[in-house]
Parts: sequence; structure tokens; C-alpha cells
Amino acid sequence: MASERVAIVGIGQTEHRATNDGSIAGVVRQAASRALEDARMDWADIDAVVIGKAPDFFEGVMMPELYLADALGAVGKPMFRVHTAGSVGGSTALVAQDLVAAGLHERVLTVAFEKQSESEAMWALSVAMPFQPPMHAGAGGYFAPHIRSYIRRSGAPDHIGILVALKDRLNALKNPCAHLHEADITFDSVRDSIMLWDPIRFSETCPSSDGACAMVLTNERGGDAAAAEGRAPAWVKGTAFRSEPTMFAGRDQVNPRGGQECAADVYKQAGIDDPRADIDCVEMYVPFSWFEPMWLENLHFCPEGEGWKMVEDGVTQLDGDLPVDMSGGVLSSNPIGASGMLRFAEAAMQVRGQAGDHQVPDARTALGHAYGGGSQFFAMWIVGAQKP
Amino acid sequence: MAEEILEAPNVVEYPFSRTTGPVVGAFLTALREGFVVGIKAADGSVIVPPVEYDPFTAEALTEIVEVADAGEVVSWAWVAEPLADQPLDRPFAWALIKLDGADTPMVHAVDTGGDPAGISTGSRVVARWRPPKPAGSDEPGPGLAEDPNPPRAYREGHILDIECFVPEAS
Repeated sequence: MASERVAIVGIGQTEHRATNDGSIAGVVRQAASRALEDARMDWADIDAVVIGKAPDFFEGVMMPELYLADALGAVGKPMFRVHTAGSVGGSTALVAQDLVAAGLHERVLTVAFEKQSESEAMWALSVAMPFQPPMHAGAGGYFAPHIRSYIRRSGAPDHIGILVALKDRLNALKNPCAHLHEADITFDSVRDSIMLWDPIRFSETCPSSDGACAMVLTNERGGDAAAAEGRAPAWVKGTAFRSEPTMFAGRDQVNPRGGQECAADVYKQAGIDDPRADIDCVEMYVPFSWFEPMWLENLHFCPEGEGWKMVEDGVTQLDGDLPVDMSGGVLSSNPIGASGMLRFAEAAMQVRGQAGDHQVPDARTALGHAYGGGSQFFAMWIVGAQKP
Repeated sequence: MAEEILEAPNVVEYPFSRTTGPVVGAFLTALREGFVVGIKAADGSVIVPPVEYDPFTAEALTEIVEVADAGEVVSWAWVAEPLADQPLDRPFAWALIKLDGADTPMVHAVDTGGDPAGISTGSRVVARWRPPKPAGSDEPGPGLAEDPNPPRAYREGHILDIECFVPEAS
């Protein structure tokens, strides 16, 4: 079915920090203003707004999009709220892109945010559910057994997680928006940090951040206009969502089928036969270090069981053959609702050549990836410098 | 190296804190000081309580203006049987009150001594303020105390620093 080409012409984000002194409205406004400024647009230029965040419970403001309409210039315009747990920032961008691709709107502002300082997301993720044993362990306690299982299956050595954490935190030093800037981090300091949920150490886990991300998406005409003014857009080459039930008995939580099929779908749309060769860099959702090798396998960058070898060989370093999490990733900034969109935005920034000190030279094709819930929601897009 | 055992309290509750920002923060700070502020919108009208962004033009609003702590009842609903945690423990009205100097009404409680005849659309009401907090007072503040709605003896930057409104004549 024919659809409009979609271009990303504006990207904005906050400096992600433990506490942002603004209100929730102030935080989303900051990211949205920066995206509009980058797109050379004003509020009146926007036709519709798509907003996402993780559960309302995280800040205790029910349906915050209603009161955020003023801050986002959405009064009198269509406004949509998206909700897919931690992957929501990615899913939100995909809903925005669908509105443009469908020809419904020409210019769509999409925004995602979280203010973790206003609550304690750890315990929000640990509330006892009816008819389920309470874990009271937070996200790390939930994912640690999946990582254990990965290590057992793949035979990966213990230091792989440390290498990922060190790499991401060093990348974050090149990103002024990153929350953690740990100039004195070393392999030994990560290794010696306290074990939180074996095998996840303190320095291998994401921080709690306040922050927001926003993008302006437009159609081919808008993308061409930006390009003509010397502001290269990122072109969307493929998009896909998948989800699967948390507690389905046959589910493989180490290498979820939803993620595999989502990746295969997005590659097919983008005309990618060999992701390892055809993709220049990847910004993936890695809240705990070990998810990098796990997702490398899930996303078909290597045969199953060999993701850890890519990490060990330095392939995913910023100067490696396939850089991963150039921005410092979720391991360095985690405003949960925004985290998925930050991955998508970093992919777009890379192909637009606007990633500053964490720019991958000549990045032409990039993958943005988000996952959420109990490794059950997946959202991905492939963006490129070339119009598809 | 001796095994370090991490210990953390695990009380299953879910408290929130709020960063109010420059505009709502100004409103709450004014309440603590015993007065009410609004904000001037792009069209020159005064919005109370103040909002950060113009509801029509989306521009950031910054001009905080003081309004009166008395005004006119625009509309109201009678609460014949107050619930726990409502501002008053005897029958009262929830009312939309347009304070003098404001162009928008604000919701608050009106205490007529329990008599619904004491309020009508267009009637005048005035704030009944809690006293300022004495230096060194350790009365509980709103938020994280065990009682989710602790009684507030003093003004501390909360909408209930105005205990309620009362008919102006009384």
C-alpha cells in the first residue's frame, strides 16, 4: 500500500539529570521547543501531537497529556497518547510517523518524557499483582535471571557486562545531554562496584533520570524543503512494533520471538539483507549491560550465542565496526518514558550528522531500538541519510 | 573482603513528590505568605491559579500578578455529607470562585456554617487563612507522613493554606 515518505527534520532533548527543576510541563516543553527550533518551526506549524510516557503511576498524574496540551501547543489539534511501558518512546515516534505516512498530517510533533525524581519507579515496578507472587525486586531483580540464563546458554565470560558498561559510560562523556558523566570510570571500578542483582553490578545498571525527547516528523515535501535549506533530514526506511504476553509459558525471555520478528520486519522494509554489513550504527535499549549482547543476537547481528564475542572484540565500541549506544545509552540516562525515543532520536541524529562528539563518521543507515515491560514490547525504526 | 550485605527498607507504598516549577511554585509560595497570585495571559486576562503556558497561544507566561483573597461565587455544589479528608467536617459547598482581579474562577470549599442558604451564585466570599508557621514548628507537612492527609495547622505552601472561603459578610 502506497504511503507518504516520512522525514525527521527536528530533534530536541533535555539535559537528562537526576532532578530537572522544571515542572512536568516545563520538561516536555524544553525538549519540544528544541525540536521545533531545530526544525525552524513554531507551535502554529504543527498539525498534531503524539505524546508517550511510561505508566502514569510513575509520577502519579493520571492522563498527563490532558494538562500538557497547553505546554505543547496542542490546543485545538489532534493529540494522541501512547503507552507501551519502557518501549513507549519508540512506539510514540512510530505512531507519529504513521500519521505522516498515512497522509493524515503533514507536520507532527512527538514527545516522550519521564520525571523519575517525582516518585520511585523501582517500587512501581514491584507492586504485588493479583494471583502472582510479589517480587519486590524492581526491574533488575526481574531481568537478572534472564541474564543468568543467557550466560549459561552462551558460555559468555563474566567481564562482558563490565565491558559494555564501561563503553557506554565512556560514550556518555561525549554527550552533554547524558545524565552520568563519570570521567574516572575504569574497568576495575565497574568490576568492583557492588553487586545489586547478581550478575548485575551497580555500575552495570541504568540511573533514574528526569528528561524528555521530542522530534518533528514531516512528509516528503517537508523533508525536501529542509534538505534544500542545508538541514539534512533523516528519512524513515522501516518501522515495526511487536509485543508478546509477559507470562506466556512458551516464551523465551532471553531471545524473545517478538524482538526477532520485529527486527526481521523492519529490515525487510528497509531492504536490509545483512544487518551487520548494511547498518552503520545501532542505538539500542540497554538498561542493564548484558542486554547489549542479548539484543545483538535478538536483532540478528550475529548467530545466537555469539553476541558477547562482538562485545569482547570491540565491534560495538564508538570506533568499532558496528558502534552501539553512541549516546551513552540507557545505561547513562534513563528518563524511562523518553528512553525509547532517545534511542530513535540518536539514530536519526547519526544519519543527519548532528551527533557531535559521539558522531559515527559517515553514518548513512542506523537502527533505533526500544523494548519494554518484561522484554515483551518492541519498537524499531531504520533511518537513513538517503531518501528511500 | 568481608561480604557486604545491602539493607534497604521495603515498605510497599508509593509516595510522590512534585517539582512545581517557576509558576505553580510562585502560587504555592504566595499561599504560604498569605496572598494569592495569578498570571497574565497573552490576551491580558489574569488566570488564577496561574498556568505556565498560554491556553490559546502556547507561549510561555511569566507575568505573575497578585489578586484579592475575596471574590464572587460563579457556581457551586452542596456537599450534604462530607467525606473523610474533605476540607470541612460539616456540610459545605464546593464553589468556583472568581477572585477580585482574576478573570478565571478557582475551585475551593465554602463554609457557611452548614447552611446551604448561606451561598448563592453571585454571593461574595473571602478566604479564611491558616496562621503562618511559627519559627521552629515541627507540625507535619503535606506529603510523606503516615497519614496521607495530615491535618495542617499552619500555612506551608499548599492549596489548603486557605482553610476554606466564608461568606464575606460574616
